[in-house]
Amino acid sequence: MTTLVAGTIDTAVGSIEVHRGGRDGPAPMVYLHSAQGEGPGMALLEALADTRQVVAPLFPGFGASEGLALIDDIEDAAFHLLDVADRLGFARCDMVGSSLGGWMAAELAVRWPERVRRMVLVNPVGLYVEGAPITEIFGRAPSELADELFADRDYPIAQLMRAMEEMEADPSQIPFELVRPFLQSQAATAKVGWNPYLHDPKLQRRLSRITAPTLIVHARKDGIVSRAHAEAYASAIPDAKVADVDDAAHLAPLERPAEVAKLVLEHLGI
Amino acid sequence: MRFFSFHLMPYPGLPADYDGPAWITCPNEFFDARLGGELYNRYIDELIYAEELGFDGVCVNEHHQNAYGIMPSPNLIASVLARQTERVRIAVVGNALPLYDPPTRVAEEFAMIDCISGGRLIAGMVVGGGPEYYSFSLNPAHARERFAEAHDLILKVWTEPGPFEFIGKHYKLRYVNSWPRPIQQPHPEIWIPGVGSLETLEFVARHRYAYMGIPYFHINVFERMFAMMRDACEKEGYVADPLQLGWLVPIFVGETDAEARRRYEEHFWYFVRRLLPGINISPPGYTSVRSSENIMKNAGTFALNLETWDQVVEGQYAIVGSPETVTELLSANVERLGVGNLLGLFQLGTLSAADTRRNLELFGTEVMPKLRAAFPGTQVPPASTPAPAAAPS
Repeated sequence: MTTLVAGTIDTAVGSIEVHRGGRDGPAPMVYLHSAQGEGPGMALLEALADTRQVVAPLFPGFGASEGLALIDDIEDAAFHLLDVADRLGFARCDMVGSSLGGWMAAELAVRWPERVRRMVLVNPVGLYVEGAPITEIFGRAPSELADELFADRDYPIAQLMRAMEEMEADPSQIPFELVRPFLQSQAATAKVGWNPYLHDPKLQRRLSRITAPTLIVHARKDGIVSRAHAEAYASAIPDAKVADVDDAAHLAPLERPAEVAKLVLEHLGI
Repeated sequence: MRFFSFHLMPYPGLPADYDGPAWITCPNEFFDARLGGELYNRYIDELIYAEELGFDGVCVNEHHQNAYGIMPSPNLIASVLARQTERVRIAVVGNALPLYDPPTRVAEEFAMIDCISGGRLIAGMVVGGGPEYYSFSLNPAHARERFAEAHDLILKVWTEPGPFEFIGKHYKLRYVNSWPRPIQQPHPEIWIPGVGSLETLEFVARHRYAYMGIPYFHINVFERMFAMMRDACEKEGYVADPLQLGWLVPIFVGETDAEARRRYEEHFWYFVRRLLPGINISPPGYTSVRSSENIMKNAGTFALNLETWDQVVEGQYAIVGSPETVTELLSANVERLGVGNLLGLFQLGTLSAADTRRNLELFGTEVMPKLRAAFPGTQVPPASTPAPAAAPS
């Protein structure tokens, strides 16, 4: 396990929090987080950093990252990530994206395919699939959402979500420091994904532009996106396949770091 | 002191065994259109009756896809009132500006109502409730920006000659040239309702508009809210006029305190337990982090948490009692809050037509005159012109 170091980089929208570490491999790997904002102290990234250079930038509105006022939609997100790759000096890198981050990785890869060497999308949102709507994430009861995000009810974040719901009976009792980061990251997710809801109607027909060999990971207990979404990505990206993870839900990278790390390493090589 | 009768136009017919929210997802199969037709006509009659009783104005508001208030277009009701009343101010509190695209529609419709009524419109502008951002699939993270931009556009429509071009972030209009224009110059009086968001208070103070405190909080919350409003005006370099402050509160007058409670309580609880659930959803990015903190502090006193009638009385969530009791409580609060506009909800929840009429009548004859005498300082500015007569057919 290699510990990642927190730092910042300057971008066109402002200072961005990044976590990085590991050793040089064939290509650096960028991890794009889900709406959960995972990254700091994440077991999956520490495992991957044993064999390669890993960089996890936090999107504007998450953690200490600035610049949300300059992000209005998914296209702004794609251009922001291109800027991040430029500032990191990555002419070409591997991309691993979870959920929202998977969608963003795909948006980057359809516009600048030459910048992505190989790609892994874990339970990505981003597409509209007839008959398989993406579950509502906004305004839901945390205890219900917890069951859709985590297969393991005892996972610490799932427990915290249920505890938050109990405190919501009297919101004035919740320490605002706990709420503030959540409010900001939810606003960031809404900026890119409120309507159209967590998808880009133009993405599907652009996916044929992607040149990176792509693995789409689907967690069998995902309560947010069904396997039909993984299949839709896989059928439209020229070189793509689907792999399943048992006993994990939407946030499989948090819940099953070892299984996801194995799939990622196999696909990226090394 | 100005007196307004405010109508939410609630839907009283939710099935007894339905315990879900009244907003966003409340099944519309519960809406009985025949009953709806009766309700609209009855509620309009109740507003018109307020003019007969000597109120200064009537208020309507906008909500979508819910049972709490079946008035998605308050402008339709206001245009009926413009024809069917002669003297009262007609306050639309308000139009949810971000929901109109382009918002020049609001400038046009408000100008129409102002013309038809002979300059009696009060133009309310509002961001729209949290649930509306679900019901319209409109991005809540853009709500404040769109509101500010739409407001600037509407004011420009009313105060600058057209045609002109308006290129904003959210609205890009090449030919802005509203026909009609409002009678009231430079523009109708503007009201902004709010729940204590700092941005809203500062916005109202900066433009010297009037701020309407939305009910359903403990009276202490109103006291803080209006104090914040006065501070915000002071920061802008002036002292707030009481007419810039409005307090909206459910009122029920009976013969005695006991009789009033007996006739009213179940209807109040229908409102709190059946119609409020779901109203308080706050979609992501809808309020700034700064304002969210303030709103969360007050959330514990939100009416949804009420359990007993004693709590209702203690927090003055509704003013209920004999004419003497109601006069006394309202006087004390008007004084304490420093407001120049009293906006009463005289119909609430399932309150019947007969009880609503009696409530209005007792208030109009036994309470309002005493309050007028007690607070003579702020007289009603007259409407700018008398209502035009209907054209001969």
